[in-house]
Amino acid sequence: MRPILLQGHERALTQVVFSKEGDLIFSVSKDHIPSAWYAANGERFGAYKGHQGALWTVDVDPTTTLLATGGADNTMRLWEVKTGREIKKWEFNTSIRRCEFSEDGRQLLGVTEKRTGQLSNIFVYDINPDPEAEQTSEESLKIVVEDLPRVTVAGFSALSHYIVTGHDSGSVAQWDAKTGELLNEVFSHEESVMDLQWSADRTYFITASKDKTAKLHDATTLEVLKTYVADTPINSAAITPEPTNYVILGGGQAAMDVTTTSARQGKFEARFYHKIFEDEIGRVRGHFGPLNYVAVSPDGKCYCSGGEDGYVRVHHFDPPYFDFKYEVEREKAREVKDHPERLEDRL
Amino acid sequence: MAANVQNTPGRTDWAEDDTEDLATAIPAPQITKNKDGTETIVTVFINDDGKRVKRTQRIRRTVVKKRENPRVAERRGWTKIGTEAGKAAGPRPDTTTLGENIIFRPVMGFKSGQAQETAPEDEKKADQLKKMQIKCRICSGDHFTTKCPFKDTMAPEGEAAGAPADMDDRMPGDGAGAGGATRPGGSYVPPHLRDGAGGATGGERMGGKFERDDLATLRVTNVSEFAEESDLREIFERHGRVTRVFLAKDRETGRAKGFAFVSYADRSDAARACERVDGYGFGHLILKVEFAKKTA
Repeated sequence: MRPILLQGHERALTQVVFSKEGDLIFSVSKDHIPSAWYAANGERFGAYKGHQGALWTVDVDPTTTLLATGGADNTMRLWEVKTGREIKKWEFNTSIRRCEFSEDGRQLLGVTEKRTGQLSNIFVYDINPDPEAEQTSEESLKIVVEDLPRVTVAGFSALSHYIVTGHDSGSVAQWDAKTGELLNEVFSHEESVMDLQWSADRTYFITASKDKTAKLHDATTLEVLKTYVADTPINSAAITPEPTNYVILGGGQAAMDVTTTSARQGKFEARFYHKIFEDEIGRVRGHFGPLNYVAVSPDGKCYCSGGEDGYVRVHHFDPPYFDFKYEVEREKAREVKDHPERLEDRL
Repeated sequence: MAANVQNTPGRTDWAEDDTEDLATAIPAPQITKNKDGTETIVTVFINDDGKRVKRTQRIRRTVVKKRENPRVAERRGWTKIGTEAGKAAGPRPDTTTLGENIIFRPVMGFKSGQAQETAPEDEKKADQLKKMQIKCRICSGDHFTTKCPFKDTMAPEGEAAGAPADMDDRMPGDGAGAGGATRPGGSYVPPHLRDGAGGATGGERMGGKFERDDLATLRVTNVSEFAEESDLREIFERHGRVTRVFLAKDRETGRAKGFAFVSYADRSDAARACERVDGYGFGHLILKVEFAKKTA
């Protein structure tokens, strides 16, 4: 596969997301301008100008009409994807570390950073999906995270039942998305949780941590289902959609130590693990700095990674990627093909 | 995939590649439509040697229809915004470039040491090797015999039972007969694996793995260069449980070299497959199947 390099950003990438159909990629970096790209050929669709600080986070709603961005200028903004018009600006006391739309696009959450005198807060806003409509300034829910360490990442589970947060200490917590009540907390990582991404149906999620592991959690029980061990701090992890069963981990040595080693030693590779068997099955290299974010297209046909080096690399998978199967998987498929009745019996 | 990026406008069919400029030379190409939907194009042109040549091509045109989500189609038509406003459609070289080709094949038991792609130093080495015209004695490939992927399963050609080059430490000086019968191949055998090394055999080699491999491994030759391992697997799986399929591929082009190895879990399956698939037509070639030669 020949990666497509997107070089519209002048500084390190912080997050990249795909639209629901996988045709557009939205990227934000520490420069102030979010960009939109066509995934098929890497053409830049446009840029959204207005922010005045480094951007940490971006998300797009399921219909690809609204784009949310947040960053170090203490604002979270809503844009119309098609025209680049700024629809709404929410201002906070500290920077926004993470924003995410709910599954239906009717809610948007923003996580503010904990700083001296300020606590980490989670703000939830009701969103009107019509780009022409007036958006509310009043949050529908505000969770003040007092007792837990700094929140780094957050997201809505299936049907917006829960809000799941990842923390600086490596713990993962679950909140009621209606009342804001803390329901559960598990200590699954030893160091800061850097990323949290959902499975296609949002019933489970993967967390990436500085402790060199990524873990698959159940969204309801927060039970750790699988653990993927790497030899370098992991900044981001993504779950590939059916029918492939992989997870993609991106990371590398911390950005501040990068200049002291060569690109090869820095482990700036996207690592592919089998989701079920937890084995590493391959790597894709190319970046000159740590990978800050990896995202998989919802159709599973391509993935992209944003690096500290300022590049987004878009990879469209080749057939061997889809054909790869473990012997047990092949046997299973054969059995189902040859004896469909056995499967029915079991059901 | 990346083809979208490279597509040059105005080029509709690969068949027109050659004809376009040549057609202007002498009589216009005749195109006749056949009943089965194909077209026959007769072109007359003058070839490199200055001779008049008539070429007849039969072409079938296929229309590839792609279904696309209407939302995606709509978004593709949007006019660009922000810094890109007013710029023409298509990727621009200042923001979008193509990277080097990356070969990514998922493998079971991936280890970071076993690099997926060759490092620059390795490539340099490979270049040097190419210039030296190396031929493997086992598979006739362009690598050293010691680096041959089949050195454990096959004996070098025409070297079935030569005397071993190494000296047997049990009987120094009696080299001609002693080890010769049991160890053809003439390659170096580390002491702990030699005959009579006090039952230490099977240390690293995982017991009788190689024997089993040899017994139920088929060597398939005359394989189409466009074949994939999955094609072969499909063919051979009909005759029993296949444990391994290896298709030798050219490192440069990625195409098959024309031979492959198929291992079965059971020797009787292998024998049956050997009988049935030998002479089977696959991709315009006739497969030749035989048992892989044994080494030890």
